[in-house]
This record gives sequence, C-alpha cells and structure tokens, in this order.
Amino acid sequence: MTSLFRWPGGWDPFGTLRHVQREMDRLVGRSGLADARRVGGGSYPPVNVLNGPEDVIVQCEVPGVRREDLDLSITGETLVIRGVKHPPVAEDQKVRFHRQERGFGQFDRTIVLPDRVDPDAVEARLNAGILSVRLPKSEAAKPRQIAVK
Amino acid sequence: MTEAKEQPQTKVHAGRALEHGSEDAFAPMVDIYEAEDGTTFLLAELPGATAESLDIRVDKGVLTIRADGSPAELGKEYSRTYTGFVGGEYFRAFALSDEIDRERIEASLADGLLTLKLSKAAAAQTRKIEIK
Repeated sequence: MTSLFRWPGGWDPFGTLRHVQREMDRLVGRSGLADARRVGGGSYPPVNVLNGPEDVIVQCEVPGVRREDLDLSITGETLVIRGVKHPPVAEDQKVRFHRQERGFGQFDRTIVLPDRVDPDAVEARLNAGILSVRLPKSEAAKPRQIAVK
Repeated sequence: MTEAKEQPQTKVHAGRALEHGSEDAFAPMVDIYEAEDGTTFLLAELPGATAESLDIRVDKGVLTIRADGSPAELGKEYSRTYTGFVGGEYFRAFALSDEIDRERIEASLADGLLTLKLSKAAAAQTRKIEIK
C-alpha cells in the first residue's frame, strides 16, 4: 500500500510557492491550476503547460517513474495525471541512508487546460523521465482569421 | 563510462557532498544509501538527460556527475501558460571515501534516473578473525 507522495522529513520545497500562488489566484478570483490534493504535496510533479495554435502540450517531470506507474485521464477540459513513485528500496531491506532528497509515494495533478481539446486525439509520450502530452485542439478552439472588408 | 585516475590521495572525507560548478547548472536530487555488505548506491534524478550527454568521472577521489537535460525547443508559436520546470545542465560532485573501489563503479541510466553502484574496496571489507 503506497502512501501519498511526500518529500523526506516532511519538507516541501514548493510549499511557499504554492501558498503564494493560491493567494494570488484568490485575489484575481480564478481557480487557475487546481491542485487535486491539498494535503501533503499537491504540486508534485512539476508541470509545464504550453499553448499553441493547433494543440496544447503538457509536460511533466517524472524521473524514475515507469510507464505502468502512470495513469492519465481527460474529462472535458481537465487533464488528470496520477501515478506512483516508488521508494529506492523496499521497506523490508536494511540499508543505511546517507542522503535522502528524492520524494516518493502517490501523486496526482489536475490541470485545467487553456482551451477545448479533442480527447480522442490525445497522445502521451514518456522519454528520459519526462512525460509529454500533446492535446490537439478541437476545431472550435483553433484560431480563425477574420477578414476585414 | 567511469574514468578512474590513480592518484595517491590521503585526505578524502566520507560521504560529504561538494556542491559547486557552472553557474547555470542544476544540482540533481540524490538518494545515497549503503547496503549491509558495504555497497553504496547513488540515485540521481536527471530528467531529460540523454545517455550521450552523461559524463561521470572520478578524479582525485571526487566523483563528478554531468549531464545535459535541455529539452527540445517547441517553437515560437507556443506560449507558456504555466511553467513548473525548465531543463538545463546538471552538475553535482561528491567526495568519495577511501573505502570505495574507484575502479569498480557501475552506472546505468533509465527514465531520467541515474543509478551508480559503488563497491567497497576489498581491503576495506570487515574480516572476521578466526581464533585457533
């Protein structure tokens, strides 16, 4: 039974950043990038969202995570990336840690996409620990040139 | 992939990490642990790094890890709605203890995770003394 993702020693490197971002979102009055989990590290793994004319690209840094440990799903304009990062050694193994900086456990991120996409045409690739999801935009969301008469 | 230089060094500190390097390089996060037989494992997160760009050296008792994790450029037509990470160069250095056999370091890179297996030198193994 894998526990929720946490950094070693309870330390969260993104804690302050996340707090500032939530405060800013509240001030502006929008829900921006929603964190599905409020407790214990809802901002792992780090993501990039890029918006192009034809598609939206979501990148995710997940080193050491295998394809079978990832679960991607899309509902409307929301992309959910779930997964589990395994600890370096099994719990029953007797090892002595000199340094433990990597976090491990279950993680998930909910990403509200900037535009409408076609859910049947979504492609995801995992390469060198970086997950790259390409979401082609639905026709209505693509920019259309307007001729001025 | 490991270059071990034969230098007569005496002052090496066990397990202390030295962090310095080029200004723009990221220091990868590591887990370092020692198994019961004294073998040390070092796991370093190098997302986006290719095997070709990976450079691991041991020089005067200092283990240096370098890699390039710069992502492929996506083109100017993409605007960055949200940026949570950027790629780049990775660099980190570690001082190896005398107990580690510099000639026998194994490295493997998979899914952006580097695993180094550092074996204990034979002379440093604990030997039980027989009482006759």
